This record gives sequence, structure tokens and C-alpha cells, in this order.
Amino acid sequence: MKRTLSISLILALMVTALLTGCSSGSSKTITFWTPLTGDDGAYMDQLVKDYNATNPEYKVKHIVTSDMYTKISTVMNTGKGVPDLAIIHADRVPGFVKQGLLEPMTNILASQPEIKQENYLPQAWSTGTIDGTQYTVPLDIHSNVMYYNKDLLKKYNAESFLDDNVVTIDEMLSLKGKLDEGDYVVNDALIGWVMLAELQNEGGDVEKDGKPTVDTPEMKKAYEEVKKIADAGLMTPFGEDGYLMFQGGHVLFSTDGTWSSTAHAKVQGLNFGVTNVYSTTADKFTNRASSHLFAMLKNDKRTDEKEQGIGKFLEFIRENSIEWAKAGQIVASNKVNQSPEFKNYMQSFFTSNEQEIQSLHIYTYEYYPYVAEAVDKYSADIIRGNVDLDETLKTMQKYVEDKIAEAGKGTK
Amino acid sequence: MNKKVFTLYLFVGPHLILFAVFIFLPTIFGIYASFTHWNLMNNPVWAGLDNYKTILFDSGSTFHTQFLNGLKNTFIFVVLSVPLLIVIPLLIAVALEHKKVKFKGVIQSILYIPGLISVSAAALIWLLIFNKQLGITGNVFGSTVAWPANQPYAWIIILVLSVWGGVGGNMIIYRASINGVAQDLYEAAAIDGAGPLRKFISVTLPSIRFPLIYTFVMTTAASFNVFAQPLMMTKGGPRQSTQVLMMDIRQLAFGSGESIAGMASAMAVLLGLVILVISALQYYVMNRNAS
Repeated sequence: MKRTLSISLILALMVTALLTGCSSGSSKTITFWTPLTGDDGAYMDQLVKDYNATNPEYKVKHIVTSDMYTKISTVMNTGKGVPDLAIIHADRVPGFVKQGLLEPMTNILASQPEIKQENYLPQAWSTGTIDGTQYTVPLDIHSNVMYYNKDLLKKYNAESFLDDNVVTIDEMLSLKGKLDEGDYVVNDALIGWVMLAELQNEGGDVEKDGKPTVDTPEMKKAYEEVKKIADAGLMTPFGEDGYLMFQGGHVLFSTDGTWSSTAHAKVQGLNFGVTNVYSTTADKFTNRASSHLFAMLKNDKRTDEKEQGIGKFLEFIRENSIEWAKAGQIVASNKVNQSPEFKNYMQSFFTSNEQEIQSLHIYTYEYYPYVAEAVDKYSADIIRGNVDLDETLKTMQKYVEDKIAEAGKGTK
Repeated sequence: MNKKVFTLYLFVGPHLILFAVFIFLPTIFGIYASFTHWNLMNNPVWAGLDNYKTILFDSGSTFHTQFLNGLKNTFIFVVLSVPLLIVIPLLIAVALEHKKVKFKGVIQSILYIPGLISVSAAALIWLLIFNKQLGITGNVFGSTVAWPANQPYAWIIILVLSVWGGVGGNMIIYRASINGVAQDLYEAAAIDGAGPLRKFISVTLPSIRFPLIYTFVMTTAASFNVFAQPLMMTKGGPRQSTQVLMMDIRQLAFGSGESIAGMASAMAVLLGLVILVISALQYYVMNRNAS
């Protein structure tokens, strides 16, 4: 009997401990979910720690939530355990607002006069503006960029490519037949992002009047242009890790993300710099970007006082987020990105003048994620000539249209 | 009597609760969701058989094409992987029974450990091994192929990873059951003049037929649910030729855009039905033959 009693007690304790773990913390704590895993999470931890060290009335509890969007759907359905604050990606905003998941930032903007459009990178701010209402406050812009290997550029006498900060496909093609065996001009890292930038360079877009535009002459031209690099044997071979090959010193240009600078910097002997993603034309360049945005998911239990506490935290981030630059991101707060300290970071290249800032393109089409899925899925095979371009563009268009039609049925 | 019944429930209770919460109720809800249009956020909208009609009969629909391609690739994986995951562990288990084999425990552990390693971590290692520039296949064996981007190599690397990770589990089951076979059967067979092969076919195999049926059915069901290996090794390429159904289901329900969970659930239910029918057939055929 005694044994049964002790087992029951242990079980009861375990259940209590489990349930305690499920609760969303005390009323004086701001529960803050982010999808920032790895080093990014550690930099955010530091920012939160610095804020909490200022002894605010509402302390912030940062919870790195892998698979955050799945968890958001769960908590929003049940209404329990909804975080007070979260970081979401730019492409989620239109969908979330349409589904009524986001609380406007109106009260926070009213209480924190410095949290306003003029104090942030324009596209990072406007991503969160839907029908005149502000739903998010930006933390950063993270973009597709192009790293270059300084030593290889010198070796192949290609340093002049960088003169106007636009490396064109024609310039790349001029290296045909001039490279040592095993060396390549560019890799295919983040090739989907590259294609969506080239689409802009060709004057195209992913939507027109709310309808997806994938199978268009501009998209076709963009693919044809990029395919020229692969056809000339200047792109790292299909299926090989072009990112590692760049780090290994065999590729002149790597089209990966701002966040990769920290990893590249750890590679001994890799002498590299950063510039804009190559373009189909010398007249225009685009770097396809996204943004991490602070947002409040709808939650009736969040008090006005807590919202004020969140406002103070966001103002602290606006003033002090230089720590975030260490993660390789372009900090959205102008106070930080215009500071002398930020100039020490490689990504400051993209805030060095108005043209560079404008080159950071964030797609805000409601169904952009479907377009991006299609582009990611088919780009590699198109560029390598494994599939017919016209036919695949039709498939991609249908892919996006079918998904939009189906998604529409779920929101009736 | 009441006390006895209570004790029984006490023992079976925890399993029943876990089964109900994590398997039974989600399955019922998943089946319900398959008859709806649902984006995970709003309430599901009843759709009747719409999703099933689209998936099975609307040949112009992306979902129909995705389903057929995903199911075809899943079948390819099952057909290739299941025999390997039965035969190789069985051969190893039989080989380990030989008197002259030493360090049986060590060998068994070495073969079992890969099953404990996360598929993602293992995939990264295997990708490096098969990397044309950095890997063993390129530098030692002189392979000039980019394995993940060309068939049949893409399937080969997926299979290598799956077999490497999956051999240990079945092997342990076979070893345990072979150990349970009465020695006098072997002795009798030896007296009748049976050699090692005859002993294996006429004594070992019939004696372990239930573990064999069990592993065959379970391995097949697990192989139908393949997801992480192709996702990590080939990302479904080249030309969607290793895009298995679970990858499509996951992308539909939990992709970066608005969720299409109703359609994803319908695909999952259809996959579940395929697994159910095939498992039942396997069990029926093998059990009938065995008896």
C-alpha cells in the first residue's frame, strides 16, 4: 500500500511538473518565440539578456521554437499558450493578417514615438503595413548577396567586374575557357532566390492584380540568361556542394545569404568580400531579401500594460541591436545601421547608399510562398537543362494557381 | 473481483491513454480533416469527397500529379529497400551464429548503433562520403558522378543511408529468434545429412517465421513512410524522381505558404490505406504459406 502511495505521489509530481512546463510564464513576463536556431538564437539570447539587465517591469523570456509556424497554428487554434511576442518572416505577414492572426502594433507605436517608419529601412517597415495598419516592427533584412573570392578575381584578372558593383552575366561569360580545371565562376547556392532577383531585373514580378505570374516572358528570359552560365560550364556542377566549393577556394562568386559571412570568415585562407547578386543587365541589380519581424499574435489575455512592456523592449532593440549585426544580418533600425560600429560589418555594404538599400527586394505578394516553393522546386533542373523550359514554366504556373485555389477554399 | 479488474486497468491504462491521445484521436481527426478544406488556422470547411476526387481523378490538377509521382517514388523505395532490410540483417544474424565468429556482442553493437543516430546527422556524413570533390567515392574510387543529382545514383545513396541505419533493428530480432530455435532440430537435421544451407532453409527459416512476418510487415510500413532520407540526400531531385509522398504531404500541410492541410490529410489517408492493404496481404500470404 505504501508503495502504491509513493508511486502515485511520484506520478502526481511528474504530471504537475509537466503541466508547469506548459504554462506560459508569469503575468510579468513577456513570452517571446523566435524560430532563431543555432548562432542566431544565441545572439538574440544576448540581446534579451541585455534588455533584462536594465530591470524592466516586464522581463522578456526568449524561447527558441524550432518548427515555430506549426506550433503557432496549434496555439492559435486552442487559444492557449499563445506567445506575447514572436519573430516571423516577411512572407508570412500578408497571410497571417488575412487570417486575422496578428494584433496591430497601434498601441505600441502610440506609446513609443521613435518606433516609426523613418527610423527603419523602408521596405522592412512597409512589409508590415497592410491597408494602412502596422502589424510588425522589423528587426532586420536578411538578403541573398554575392560573395567573391578576392584571390581568384585577381588570378583571373576579373577585379574590374566589381567596378560598378554590378557583375553582369556577360562579364561572367567572358571567363569561358580561361579557368583552371576544377575552378568555376559561380555556384548555385540559393538559386531560387537568385531567380526571383533576376525576375525583377528583367522587369517582371510574381503577381499582377493579385494573380500569380510565373509563366511570363520575363521569367523565361531570366531563366534563359542564368542558364547561359551553366551551359558555358561556368556554374558549379549540378548536385555538387557549391557553397563548400566556394569555401574551398575554387569558385569566384557565391550567391548565398548575408548570414553566411560569419561561416565564410571562419575558413582559413578564404580572402573574400561581398557585392550584389549578378544581374542579367548592367542597368539594374536586385538582391532578393526577407526580413525578421516582431509581431504580436492575437491573444485576449495580453494586457495593455504588457503591450507597453513589449513596446519598451522593441525600443531597446531599435537602439541597441548592433549585437544582431554579429549574426551577419542587415539591422533594420537606422540608428544602428547608420552607426560607425555597423560599418565594421561586411553587410553594411547594403546600407552604404540609397541605391543599395533599394536593391534589397522583399516580395509582399500574399501567395509569394507558393511562388517561391515552385521556383525552388524547379529552378535547378531548368538551369541545368534537364527539363523543357516552356513546359516547366506552365507546370510552375499551374502549381501556384492550384495551391491558391485550394487555400482559398479553406478560408471560406 | 473489482480489485482485480482495477489492477488490470492500472497496468493497461497508461498504454490505453497514450494510444488514445497520440494515435487514435489524431488518426480520427486526420481522417475527418481529409474530408475538409482546412488551413490549420480557421475552422475546417466540410468538403465531402472533393479532396479524394481531385487527388485520384482530376488528371489536370497539381495535386493529382504530385500524388501519383510521390506514390510511384515511394513504391520504388519500398520495393528496393524492404528486401535489403530483411535479407541483409538475416544473413548477418545467421553469420553471427557461427562458432568461429568472435566478439559477437561488439559486432552487433556496431551494426545497431547507426539506428540510434539522427537521420539528418547521418545524411550529412553520407553526403560528404559521396561528395565528388571531398568524398571517398571521388578520391579513392575515382567516381566522377555527382551522386545526388543523377539516377540511379540518387536512389543508391538513399538506400545506402536507409540500410545502414535500418539493419541493426531487424538483426537483433533475428538473432534473438535464432537463439530460440531448439538445437536438437539442427542435430536431427545433421544426422539426416543436412548441410548448412539445408539447415538454414529447412530448420532456421520455418522456426523464425513469425519474427520474419513481423519484421517484413513492419519494415514495409516504415518504408512507405520514408521522408527524411530523400529530403536530406536529394531534396526530391533530380527531376522530382526521389520526391516521395511524405515530402509532398508535409509541404502541403506545413510549407511556408498558407496550409492546405485538408488535401494533405487526404493524401495521408490514401497512403495509410495503401500501407494497410499491403500489410494485410503480406501477413495473409506469409502466414498461409507458413502454416
